Amino acid sequence: MTNKKVVIPIGPQHPALKEPGCFTLTLEGEKVTNAVVGVGYNHRGLEKSCESRSYIQCLYIIERVCGICSHSHSTNFLRAVEQIAGVEISRRANYIRVLMAELERLHSHLLWLGVAGHIIGFDTLLMYSWRDRELVLDQLATIGGNRVNYGINTIGGVRRDIDAQNIEDLKKMCTIVEEQAKYYAQIALTETTLAARLGGVGKLSHDDCIKYGAVGPTSRAAGVADDIRKTDPYCLYEEMPFDVITTEYADVFGRTVVRVLEIFESVKIIRYVLDNLPDGELVVKVPRKIPAGESVTRYEAPRGEDVHMVRANGTEYPERVRVRAPSEANWHGMAHMIEGDYLADAPLIIAAIDPCYSCTDRKIIVDNKDTETQSVLDWNQLRQYSIDWYKNRGIDTTKIQIPEKKLYF
Amino acid sequence: MSKEEQVIQQIVAKFPFLEGKLTNPYDRRIHAEPLYKEDFEKVLDWLATEGGFDTFHLVIGFDSGENLEFVYVLSNADKIILNVKQYAPKSNPVINSVVKYYKNCIWHERELIDLFGATVEGLPEGPHYPLPDGWPEGQYPMRKDWKVEYFDKNTMTYNPPAPEAKEETPEAPAEN
Repeated sequence: MTNKKVVIPIGPQHPALKEPGCFTLTLEGEKVTNAVVGVGYNHRGLEKSCESRSYIQCLYIIERVCGICSHSHSTNFLRAVEQIAGVEISRRANYIRVLMAELERLHSHLLWLGVAGHIIGFDTLLMYSWRDRELVLDQLATIGGNRVNYGINTIGGVRRDIDAQNIEDLKKMCTIVEEQAKYYAQIALTETTLAARLGGVGKLSHDDCIKYGAVGPTSRAAGVADDIRKTDPYCLYEEMPFDVITTEYADVFGRTVVRVLEIFESVKIIRYVLDNLPDGELVVKVPRKIPAGESVTRYEAPRGEDVHMVRANGTEYPERVRVRAPSEANWHGMAHMIEGDYLADAPLIIAAIDPCYSCTDRKIIVDNKDTETQSVLDWNQLRQYSIDWYKNRGIDTTKIQIPEKKLYF
Repeated sequence: MSKEEQVIQQIVAKFPFLEGKLTNPYDRRIHAEPLYKEDFEKVLDWLATEGGFDTFHLVIGFDSGENLEFVYVLSNADKIILNVKQYAPKSNPVINSVVKYYKNCIWHERELIDLFGATVEGLPEGPHYPLPDGWPEGQYPMRKDWKVEYFDKNTMTYNPPAPEAKEETPEAPAEN
């Protein structure tokens, strides 16, 4: 059997994440000797559709590039538009954008921690971290009205304010999440089974991170102290007290440690925002027609550097919008990370960059032309459909008593 | 003198034809005017090897009418973002890959092939990206003249309306 090579396609359905990507792995025994990454299954034509829509319509499309990083994309897009228009938004609006950004980072990191736990068979970690993530999502939903796609941003500022009750709830949430994160940090740094499972897997060295352009926790885990919030600050991040977390492990273990420790930094920033929320208008007026110009903006999304470029032509419609999501940057080093490792590690290595295929490929179009095989439901129709679906299976959801909501501790 | 101005001076000293073609519209941002292939490659080679612009973020395609425009977003150790731009005639948009300088350009350049119809020479072989298998040859959806409403996704064909035939004006009936 020696020298026999076997080619195994993994995908287009990812074995751990519910998104499409195809990885063609060449194996010698159980070791991967060659990996070819295939993405593009989610290409949805976002950038093209932005060209025929007004800036405010584009905002709603851009927010839907990604469910998890929705605020990251919309903020970055708006910063480009506001920069071209020469508009300075209020300090309060900037602080609220930062607050939402850090809540988003919290829920994204907790989500990833659960997914990683699930992949390595540590489902208790999945249950714990997703339980805590719900607390963050509750706060996002309270402020923005939605668990994802909060719709907080608008051109020239933010659409919703933070009141005293929000501040009290957020501080309570911060206390709980911080306490739990201490527990996760303890597990990550001291639990030997976790270190044995994650250590040395999916190596991408400091130099390789730079060579392949890796971003976010992937590169910070290899000691690249590159955090856009520090190196190219935006939304008044220069005022926020936080440290850039790096490790020297350069593997999946390091990526886990970085994400867990970044939870503390996000909590620190949220507390600072809540204690120092400046007064000011939520929105400043921005003309519908944006003057000709172009801008490249960068943003530290939970998964890493998000780059947007907007070119305006003096009309209500952008000439060109380009989104380079963090996952798109992290794919370049993926083959290098997988090669040399075991086949069984491939799903974990792929998941360790916290990939978002939708981010990479961008945009969706829903049309209702094919009425025989497709239909678009409104909210009430969807709700009724789900009630009927369960009823047909003997479950009447309308009779379920929902207990009063309690915190878990 | 700001760091951005220092970088501009350094580039102009090396390439005098860029005098007045580099601007600093925002903090940590330098924009260059588009160059044609030969000049662009000289400038990029220097930026990547001696100029300190060793980080490649992305390349963005534009349809600028007669030309396709490609904007390369680079940065240096001071985190200054430099947009260098290359023009290629739309009738024959051949550019060279920058993979010898930046390993992470491959997916971005494949996107230029699929979406803009660029020919990128020197790009390693690999799967096309991001359009689906079976996409019709010669259809480049990010070009401005390509309209989504003429594309039939069921048959994967692009069916623009036929140019309107000139209506022949009937001759006036001869008066008797």
